[in-house]
Amino acid sequence: MTSHTTVRAEGIVKAYGRQRALDGFDLAATTGVTGLLGPNGAGKTTLLRILATVLAADEGSLRILEQDPLEPEGRRHIRRRLGYLPQDAGFHRGFTAFEAVDYVAVLKEHTKARARHDEVRRVLDLVGLSGVAGKKVRALSGGMRQRLGLAQALLGRPQLLVLDEPTVGLDPEQRMRFRDLVSEAGHGRTVILSTHQTEDVAAVCSQVVVVNRGRALFTGGVDELVKLAEGRVWVDSDRDPRALAGWRLGAHRYHHIGDPPAGAELVEPGVEDAYLLLVGPQAATSDGADQERDAA
Amino acid sequence: MTNTEWHLDTELAGRYTHGRVTSVLATSIEQHLLRCEVCRRLLQAAVQTDRLDRVWAEIIERVETPKRSLLERLLRHVGVDEATARLVAVTPSLKGSWLTGTTVVLVLALLAAQTNPQGVSVFLLMAPVLPVAGVALAFGPAADPAHEIVASTPHSAVHLLAVRTAVVVSSCLLPAAVASAFLPGDFWVAMAWLGPALALTVGTLALSTRVAPHVAAIAMTVLWMTVVVRGLVRNHDPLFAATLSVQLAAIAVLAISAAVLLIQRRDLGELLRRVS
Repeated sequence: MTSHTTVRAEGIVKAYGRQRALDGFDLAATTGVTGLLGPNGAGKTTLLRILATVLAADEGSLRILEQDPLEPEGRRHIRRRLGYLPQDAGFHRGFTAFEAVDYVAVLKEHTKARARHDEVRRVLDLVGLSGVAGKKVRALSGGMRQRLGLAQALLGRPQLLVLDEPTVGLDPEQRMRFRDLVSEAGHGRTVILSTHQTEDVAAVCSQVVVVNRGRALFTGGVDELVKLAEGRVWVDSDRDPRALAGWRLGAHRYHHIGDPPAGAELVEPGVEDAYLLLVGPQAATSDGADQERDAA
Repeated sequence: MTNTEWHLDTELAGRYTHGRVTSVLATSIEQHLLRCEVCRRLLQAAVQTDRLDRVWAEIIERVETPKRSLLERLLRHVGVDEATARLVAVTPSLKGSWLTGTTVVLVLALLAAQTNPQGVSVFLLMAPVLPVAGVALAFGPAADPAHEIVASTPHSAVHLLAVRTAVVVSSCLLPAAVASAFLPGDFWVAMAWLGPALALTVGTLALSTRVAPHVAAIAMTVLWMTVVVRGLVRNHDPLFAATLSVQLAAIAVLAISAAVLLIQRRDLGELLRRVS
């Protein structure tokens, strides 16, 4: 595996009516795990749909796995090396877990039945669903269905894995397992995932992109992101109204981010602090094109 | 545990691993192997691991692969390959409830035609619409919960559409053709639904390159209902759908729709993959 840039996006624009979901988005991703961190409606889902070749950008230049997704041949090449977990991964509810993944395997051109079935069993085992392979999708819990979505994305050991909110619905133990899986998948391959969970980003991402209003506000390593918040995080026994954001840690203990007052008790920042400093605390409640699309 | 009275020799071990001993002797050896580590070691060296792996893989395949659905087995029986059968099996308009509904509609339309001279128009109204609804439910975001995943795969969307359409249309046309045999009147009149059925189905596919499949199906259905009802109300002719002018119009719609699909064949796959 070479260290070529797997995804190079420059000035990507995508609009739904008058609403610009992506407004000149730039991204370069190589092997390893790239995490997109941003509030609802920031444009993450739209970007991932474009990377998964299910949507076309309106403007900008895009190369995926050294191919142009606008060209039919290039698209086919990308799709043969792609694993995609959409935000709302649906499956036919009458299928068993095995059949649901097998269905996608057929579409991914695994035509030889025996080898395909072996591959289906391998990915079901990877996500810990071997024990429920014969169960109907309708009988699986939300977390299990999410893992089923991850299993189909892992079929054929894709060179590029695009995962939209992969940890939604997973319990803490499953999230740990997911992190191991993604870290392993990121060795020699490229994983691009979106998440609201700053802990996931800190745990697995070699590169983080903070997204807001259709643009990349920050692109770099997790350490570089955290550095942005150095000297801007403090704790106090009372809530400080001058802080950009603050929350209760426990009895008479408040965590604050922003410009600290003189003599404030500074603490080590985390990914969440840096993220909130970049997008602003109001971003957590912002609406946008992605939500409009989801509602549609 | 080696305190047994006898042990396998290399010749017997070789015969056993190649399956060349009687079942009684094989059982005896297997009982002995449970207790004798020396013989287990001897046998280990004689065993062909690749053969064992193949046998084990076959066992896993048979035990762990779920049994195929009735529809998939039926499709396999009529010569559809197993991968295509899996792709077709998820089509909502091939489920038992849909097929039952189709049969009920046709039987009721047939009863109307048998009991009332004007009732033939009900049959001519319903028969062409059934494959249209079936095709609309065979593909697209509304029909396939895995549509977004499907859209990201390299499989040809046109192939998927063609296979599902062929199976769905067959599942509608065959019962309609059987029902036609029981219609009163000429054979030509009884089969007058076929041309419009094909025209409306291909028309739905052509229109689906511009709007969602279910919207296209509704538009074609409304168009057909307008034609039949207009003939009934204005011309008082329950067989208006069977007139030459309507049949020629159906052929024209069929030809234009086929031309649209042909012209757009390069982009058809992407048009059908639209997320919404």
